[in-house]
Amino acid sequence: MKRVGVVLLLAVLALIWHERLALQAFPGILSAYSAKEYCSCRYVMNNPPEYCQGYVKQYLPLSELLDDPAHQRVTASGLGQSNSAAWGGPRQGCRLLPAQ
Amino acid sequence: MGRYSIFAAAFTLLWAAHASAETWPGEDWPAAPTLPSPALQSLQDYAFPPRDDATRKGIRTDALVVIHDGRLIYEHYAAPTTASTPHLTWSISKSLLATVMGVAYGEGRFQLQDPVARYYLPFSAHPRVRIEDLLHWASGLDWQEDYEYAPLNSSVVAMLYTRGRGDMAAFTAAHSTYSEPGQSFRYSSGDSNVLSAALRGMLGNDRYADYPWQALFEPLGIRSAVWESDASGTLVGSSYAYMSARDLARVGLLMLRDGRWQQRQLLPANWVAFNRAPFAHAAAEPGEATPGGHWWLNQPLAGAIRPWPDAPVETFAALGHWGQALYILPAEKLVIVRYGDDRDASYQHNELLKRALAAFAGGGS
Repeated sequence: MKRVGVVLLLAVLALIWHERLALQAFPGILSAYSAKEYCSCRYVMNNPPEYCQGYVKQYLPLSELLDDPAHQRVTASGLGQSNSAAWGGPRQGCRLLPAQ
Repeated sequence: MGRYSIFAAAFTLLWAAHASAETWPGEDWPAAPTLPSPALQSLQDYAFPPRDDATRKGIRTDALVVIHDGRLIYEHYAAPTTASTPHLTWSISKSLLATVMGVAYGEGRFQLQDPVARYYLPFSAHPRVRIEDLLHWASGLDWQEDYEYAPLNSSVVAMLYTRGRGDMAAFTAAHSTYSEPGQSFRYSSGDSNVLSAALRGMLGNDRYADYPWQALFEPLGIRSAVWESDASGTLVGSSYAYMSARDLARVGLLMLRDGRWQQRQLLPANWVAFNRAPFAHAAAEPGEATPGGHWWLNQPLAGAIRPWPDAPVETFAALGHWGQALYILPAEKLVIVRYGDDRDASYQHNELLKRALAAFAGGGS
């Protein structure tokens, strides 16, 4: 039994090592998705703020969604990470800003 | 010489008469609204059921626009989308990128057999992948396209939002291979963004950023288009083009008329034929459209019925996440744009096409 436990533990550790890049990136998905798609919903498609909040809503809740209309810049926070997207022009639309 | 001029003049007159008999959009679409009928009501009932924004379940159409032979015969929108909303097209962007590349092809900038590495250096890691293979989503790269169900291992989520967002083509190029290039179909947003990077290499940075507008949108009178790029400046050819439903219908009319816009052959006829030819090594999947050259076809694959049984076999389409669709029905001279916000799988292409044919086939009268 003990040997099985050790093998299982090693297998889990190997899996974590194998997937380390994906696991590191995972917590950033929610805030990056929300910031980017809210920015585009609001400033490219010109939809109202209330609609865009519903539009980006996922099963996992955000801790914060900050829209700065003066700079057309959106910051979302969730799962311990923040990401921002900003509008860059009438043809360019929105883009995620480099991660802090 | 005199006789030649008379012939030339007569030909010009005949051509002008022929061209003026065709209807094309100017600043707006000429309109010929379809009169109410039970068939039209049935289409509208299917596309626009009452919406529940709390559960987001069921069919959630944002826009439905129908063009018959160059005339707007039907349109309907669900708030907040309007006739002027530049709606996200998601993966319709891929077929738009292919159409922009068709103009570049007509300008002699590349051949289908050219190695991608000639135009995009990081693909020297995959020297045998040709432009044609990317257009067939057959690069052979080990890509995972799942969006929502396997976020940890989804290549496309990593590309758009995390590890790939700085340079999406380079992120794709760093993938390993699972198959010989050109031998098997695996739908990949990465392949589309490498095409976008290859176009950048063909044109140079200065011409590239405005090329979709100069090559395609302006000639067609499209004014609502937005196309977002990654941090390296490569247009997100896989996912991030926006335009109004009426403007997307202009691309549909261009394809309906085999790449010709009024008197100008914008896309070579053999380019459109390539878009509409099934990929030889594709395998049938029930209900899934057949991959062509960065467009989707209703052509049946060996041993299977056609993907949308109630639509003509010549039907082809550009399709995107959450129910975006541009359908072209050549024999019926119909172009249909359907924008949506479908968060489940309720919406069926076949059902919409079936009801649209009942409502409009025969001329929208």
